[in-house]
Amino acid sequence: MKLWLIANGAERSMEILAPAPTCRFRLAGEAERTAQVELAEPGVYSILMDGRSYDARVEERPSGVVVVIDGYRFEIEVRDPRRWSRRAGGAGAEGIQSIAAPMPGKVVRVLVAPGDAVEAGQGLVVVEAMKMQNEMKASRAGRVLTVAVKEGATVAAGEVLATIG
Amino acid sequence: MFRKVLIANRGEIAVRVMRTLREMGISSVAVFSDADRTSLHVRMADEAEHIGPAPSAESYLRIDRIIDAAVKHGAEAIHPGYGFLSENADFATACEDAGLVFIGPSAQSIRMMGSKTAARRTAMAAGAPVVPGTEHGVTLDEVLEFARREGYPVLLKAVAGGGGKGMRRVDRDAELESALRNAASEAGRAFRDPAIYVEKLVERSRHIEIQVLGDRHGAMVHLGERECSIQRRHQKVIEECPSPLVAPDPEMRRAMGEAAIRAARAAGYYNAGTVEFLVDRDRRFYFLEMNTRLQVEHPVTELATGLDLVKLQVEIAAGARLPFTQEEIAWRGWAIECRIYAEDPYNDFLPYPGKLTRLTRPLGPGVRLDGCVYEGWTVPMEYDPLLAKLAVWAATRQEAADRMLRALREYDVGGIRTNIGFFRQIFEDPEFRAGHLHTGFIDEFLARRRAPEPPPDLAAVAALAASLHTMARAGTANEAGGKSLSSAWLEAGRRDLLR
Repeated sequence: MKLWLIANGAERSMEILAPAPTCRFRLAGEAERTAQVELAEPGVYSILMDGRSYDARVEERPSGVVVVIDGYRFEIEVRDPRRWSRRAGGAGAEGIQSIAAPMPGKVVRVLVAPGDAVEAGQGLVVVEAMKMQNEMKASRAGRVLTVAVKEGATVAAGEVLATIG
Repeated sequence: MFRKVLIANRGEIAVRVMRTLREMGISSVAVFSDADRTSLHVRMADEAEHIGPAPSAESYLRIDRIIDAAVKHGAEAIHPGYGFLSENADFATACEDAGLVFIGPSAQSIRMMGSKTAARRTAMAAGAPVVPGTEHGVTLDEVLEFARREGYPVLLKAVAGGGGKGMRRVDRDAELESALRNAASEAGRAFRDPAIYVEKLVERSRHIEIQVLGDRHGAMVHLGERECSIQRRHQKVIEECPSPLVAPDPEMRRAMGEAAIRAARAAGYYNAGTVEFLVDRDRRFYFLEMNTRLQVEHPVTELATGLDLVKLQVEIAAGARLPFTQEEIAWRGWAIECRIYAEDPYNDFLPYPGKLTRLTRPLGPGVRLDGCVYEGWTVPMEYDPLLAKLAVWAATRQEAADRMLRALREYDVGGIRTNIGFFRQIFEDPEFRAGHLHTGFIDEFLARRRAPEPPPDLAAVAALAASLHTMARAGTANEAGGKSLSSAWLEAGRRDLLR
């Protein structure tokens, strides 16, 4: 089965030629390889390849999976090429900017309302966790389109707080 | 000896105190807020009492509720841990008024050393050297005058301070006003006292502290130094005992130890306490402040001296005499501690609370882990994000650093971000390994570090794991030519050493 992987913004095809436990696979531009794969614990794969032992810990995220091996972290998107399509709006990044929470926390202040004109660097929303306040700023000048949170709301990391257009 | 002790704290320190109490055959009473019902300190305690909602002002800082809990449960003494009420003289007095023993110094000693400016006056009177600074809270004009006299950079500090809150470095006149305003507002929020004083900032200085221990019969010893120069946001993250600077210089240890004891004696001190010194590039040391409580980093002293500081604290509070003299204290080998935080080291060390989906703890020779977390626990966003203290002991500093690296490799925390990967980079850093430490180390390290390249096959293994996991989720794990994936997977990004 052929898959599309995107890691570090770079697309790469991956072909799984034989399933686990004796898995054969080929990454685009590389030779075919064989690896012994066992699910050792929930979300933790023990992989033996070329005589070396790896513990790969996989976490699911809304944006794909995060694989941690020996402290190194890989954020990888896996797609089925038959379902492949360019994401709508992907090219319009300069159109609407989303301001997301950098950490989980609580919204302590909302400094703008929809319709407000903002300067680049102007504070929009203040998020607090463990007594640390973090002011989320406009990445560029524009007009506030939406404010997605209210004061006192709890937000997750990556949650959109406001958009600017 | 006491039969029952209440711990007026939460998190790893409450767990650490309970462990010793259990070894001593003393029952422990936990207190908890709404956010901590399922926290480990509640689960580990023999008895537990709810003391209010999540904000600490309504729970862990409520003297009345904690005293009521102690009386209700029949505790005879209260261990305050660190933070919260541990350096609150009113709390020590309230314990005494309720007929409870406060496991710590007297309320009077806390008052003399609790405010940083009062502590400076006490230390100066005892003949300990201090960094040039003001003896009281200051106005903007006074800071300007001080800066012109002593020269920049200067350091603004909260009079009631601790933990780096309300602290600001200032390099020029133009920065002063906003720095003073921000420091005062942060101090006001953290300590309910916005007063700020100013000190001359000594560049590339070290932070080295002396552990003292005194009984209520007038005996006092020091247990050597701890090197605490590796800090982020003015908060220690790596501590060592001994200090690479002091270890080869027994005379320096003796001089610092004596200065610490003099300062502590001037405050009529008993129980465990720590005198913090700033050490400049010419090895001159200056009194900074005294922490009138058990320190977060006490395990490294315990590992190097073989003593249990909590046990000694409890015994001293119960009236016992110190069981050893200064000459009987010996230091053996090298101990290092890392403070494992739920935070993102690559996003300005911002806290990262959340649910721990996976946890593998480091084990094996010479490893000690003081923690409060378990798989499935949610790190609350209301409190300090310290998850655990990972300490190691070995015969030499090199071996201890190697052992720490090994332990950090074993340590895996999933679901939240931590500074574990960041510590691995520091322990591989030649400057750190050479012991060239100073309080600006992390800032310089961040500026010079290069993102580490993973070994060559790791990307392929990660790609394989991601693919198989995704296929398994989509129900196609065992049919290589199987059907389409059920869900679209969104764009991913960077890859680096983290966690």
